[in-house]
Amino acid sequence: MARYLIRRVVMLVGIVFVISVGAFYLIHLLPGDPAVVILGTGDSPQNRAILFKELGLNKPIWDQYFIWMRNILHGNLGTSFISQTSVAGTIRAALPIDLELIVLSQILAFATAIPAAMRSARKPDGPLDRVLGATSFTLLSIPPFIIIVLLVLFIAIKLQIPHTGPSSYVSFSSDWIGNLESLALPAFTLAIASFVVYYRVLRSDLIATLQEEFITLARSKGLSSRRIMWRHAFRPSSVALLGTAGVNIGGLLASGFVVQYLLAIPGLGYTLISAIAQSDYLLVQGIVLVVSVGVIVINFLFDFIINLVDPRISRE
Amino acid sequence: MSDQLEELTLINRPEKSRPLGLLFWICVGWVGLNIFGAIFANLLPLPDPLFQNYSAINVGPGIHHLLGTDDLGRDIFSRIVFGSRVSLAVGAGAMLIGFGLGAPLGMLAAYRRGRFDAIFTTFMYVLLAFPAIIATIAVLSFWTPRALVKIIVVIGLASVPLVYRVIRTATMGIATKDYVVAARIQGATDTRILFKELLPNVAPIGVSFLLIGIATVITLEGALAFLGLSVNPPTPSWGNMINESRTVLAQNPWLVIFPSLALCLFLLCLNFIGDRLRSHFDVTEVKL
Amino acid sequence: MSDRLLEVRDLATTFATAGGPLPAVGGVSFDLNQNETLGIVGESGSGKTVLSRTIMGLQPRTNVTVSGSARLNGFEVVGASEEAKRGIWGTEVAMVFQDPMTSLNPVMRIGKQIDEVLRVRLGMDKAAAKARAIELLELVGIPSPVERYRAYPGQLSGGMRQRVVIAIALACSPKLLMADEPTTGLDVTIQAQILNLLDRLKSQLQMSVILVTHDLGVVATRTSRIIVMYAGRVVETGSTRDVFQNHRMPYTRALLESSPKVASHSHTRLQAIPGRPPNLMKLTAGCAFAPRCAYATERCHRERPELTAAEGPGHAFACWNPLPTTRGAS
Ligand SMILES: Nc1ncnc2c1ncn2[C@@H]1O[C@H](COP(=O)(O)OP(=O)(O)O)[C@@H](O)[C@H]1O
Ligand code: SF4
Ligand SMILES: [Mg+2]
Repeated sequence: MARYLIRRVVMLVGIVFVISVGAFYLIHLLPGDPAVVILGTGDSPQNRAILFKELGLNKPIWDQYFIWMRNILHGNLGTSFISQTSVAGTIRAALPIDLELIVLSQILAFATAIPAAMRSARKPDGPLDRVLGATSFTLLSIPPFIIIVLLVLFIAIKLQIPHTGPSSYVSFSSDWIGNLESLALPAFTLAIASFVVYYRVLRSDLIATLQEEFITLARSKGLSSRRIMWRHAFRPSSVALLGTAGVNIGGLLASGFVVQYLLAIPGLGYTLISAIAQSDYLLVQGIVLVVSVGVIVINFLFDFIINLVDPRISRE
Repeated sequence: MSDQLEELTLINRPEKSRPLGLLFWICVGWVGLNIFGAIFANLLPLPDPLFQNYSAINVGPGIHHLLGTDDLGRDIFSRIVFGSRVSLAVGAGAMLIGFGLGAPLGMLAAYRRGRFDAIFTTFMYVLLAFPAIIATIAVLSFWTPRALVKIIVVIGLASVPLVYRVIRTATMGIATKDYVVAARIQGATDTRILFKELLPNVAPIGVSFLLIGIATVITLEGALAFLGLSVNPPTPSWGNMINESRTVLAQNPWLVIFPSLALCLFLLCLNFIGDRLRSHFDVTEVKL
Repeated sequence: MSDRLLEVRDLATTFATAGGPLPAVGGVSFDLNQNETLGIVGESGSGKTVLSRTIMGLQPRTNVTVSGSARLNGFEVVGASEEAKRGIWGTEVAMVFQDPMTSLNPVMRIGKQIDEVLRVRLGMDKAAAKARAIELLELVGIPSPVERYRAYPGQLSGGMRQRVVIAIALACSPKLLMADEPTTGLDVTIQAQILNLLDRLKSQLQMSVILVTHDLGVVATRTSRIIVMYAGRVVETGSTRDVFQNHRMPYTRALLESSPKVASHSHTRLQAIPGRPPNLMKLTAGCAFAPRCAYATERCHRERPELTAAEGPGHAFACWNPLPTTRGAS
């Protein structure tokens, strides 16, 4: 276990390094003088001086990287010359909305996918399994950006349900019920996308696990089906589920961007798209870095949880 | 013991040798129709997708405009047909890059094993850990001005690690089978084994994954277009059309419903064909 | 008889498979008394596992048809609901499975796997269950049971795991223990240990045992009666002595000659049974053994022989051309 952990941590550090180089280099993808592009509408002699000092733009590229990295390790992602605010501060304000969206959607997705997969696996090819199978297959082909548009069309616009339409976001601190209402459609949209994947992965693993001899042994102990399902079948079957959930986080965040964009919910996604529209490249860079590192770290945590769930993995 | 296991799996997977079925061929037909429309859009008797007819704005479906017009008076049906070009170009182009690089590497790594395999696999897994869609958004937002070719290249490169992993896993399963081992022992050349023994067996897996990969890539392009990061308007694409309809959702819901339907139906057909082929060839679930 | 524990009558199990119905067990009848040990022998694929699971009512829940009757201590297993059967599983009848590598839950500590039965079936509290589980581990001969209590199955050897499986089976003091090839998956040196353990536990705990095996050597000294199965049917049955010494059915002889331990006793050369077991989905009207039988006649291919009584008590065989009796000669 310890060796396994060390190996994973080394890998994690390596990946984060690669990401940081990538994120750093993004600015240099831009055609023309980086200073001009970064300063954008905020191009003035003073700002130019600050920028050169902050990024070391006249130094060799590796020095630039180390200066940039040192700033980041001090929590300084730079100052946007377009909005005149600190990038880290903007991200800190937006991030909780993404987290809330993800947590809400994952609660919904797991709470529905697990029981659904269990019912399907109990009778593979039974009527319920067929219905769920066809439904999930169809939903698999409907991208989140279409789901959210259709939901908004029918629920917010046709049914006129308050707090569900575009630009009706309410912050948690001002009114938490309103906040949940305004996140209901986005969370539901993300939950559908996750449900489909979780349901399918867990169903096929449960069906395989239920064929195992130790399930027959559990049956021969006189345990209830419910107990066998939860205590004996679920845990060994949840490895792929957790792995998928971990890998899914990146896609989930991206889907979150889409729903935020449509409803003008001021999370990272909305901020990112606005920043791209305003050519606020430092902010874009900061968000890309934070999101990528966040995804990698969450992935790593999931790997760790999987090890706790199934002791066989780290022993192999 | 082993034939008992076989029989058990037989029972649990009755679809193993199921025929492809009518629905499969309907899906193939639909995909074919879309490809035909995309290629010959210019020759078809369609109104100009960019022509703004201000005397027919937000018209519902009818005789003059099959699926109605948008808020600028452009013909929706024509825009959907022309818009399919973007999706299809991205799907085909990106997968060409993804498979062109990922598949040979994956096969070679699985066949050679050893150091070659170790280095490439570690490298690809590092890339895999990085969320493709976020990488794509990041690169596309910096690599301006946006153009279809750039989008195809970025999405294509982002898909390489995934293709590599699928093909490598599939090849490894086959490379250890008796007949391949036997061919190796009998001194068949590497090229011969790769092309005569491995390729024909990996191909079905590759094809079914290819279709699902195309669907995934098209979805990704749609999401980018929806966020305004794909080809620039007024060029029609399914994602662009859905994006543009946001502002007039209340006045003209057809504007979102038709392109959504076009996209979802196309994806559904691709996924269905891929899935059917997969169970037809008895390929175990490949997770995307 | 009052000490009758199990009555099996005309028991048949058929699986619905993609290739058609598969009659894994057909028309099996026998009785078992309290404290008796019965051996069921036959080649791999002859239906021993299916038979023993059907007797317990533990067959798969879908795609199976069971007919006939199996009364366990007055409880009719055939046709009983899963819920009703749960009432006898563990307490009346328990099973030791063939492969201890797959029959324990790999992600649950072994202590918990024993505790669970005690708590769910006997309503013990946590502390009592743990104490009892450790006692059981000790009973089946696991060294330092307190530490082993927290181990995962993957941390134990095959023999140790099989002991754990036995401990689970014994947890609710069943009246009947089904041991389905309990030693097949184990090293030869461990096999005898496990069989001796079962013997000891049987007399210590006053159980009846059904010992299923493909190896006649295993049952030679441990059973009072034996059932020989072929293609899902009983082809010979009788006291262990009769089956070993006065068998009349050619298949029984073939089995004996293929068993290393037994064959060396009778000074014959070790011989594998020629041919392969029949495909159960393509059984003919005749004797299922006919394609492999040296004594087969035209009648054997046409008509299936029923069990016919022989001289010894309870001895019967199914064969048109039985081997000559050696009773009294030896
Ligand atoms: N769940 C099942 N579905 C279909 N056939 C089965 C199933 N279980 C066992 N069988 C078949 O029943 C026959 C008897 O198997 P089994 O009882 O396991 O034999 P044994 O234990 O004597 O080796 C075999 O041909 C096997 O393939
Ligand atoms: S009935 Fe015929 S074929 Fe069957 S065992 Fe007896 S002699 Fe052999
Ligand atoms: Mg068996």
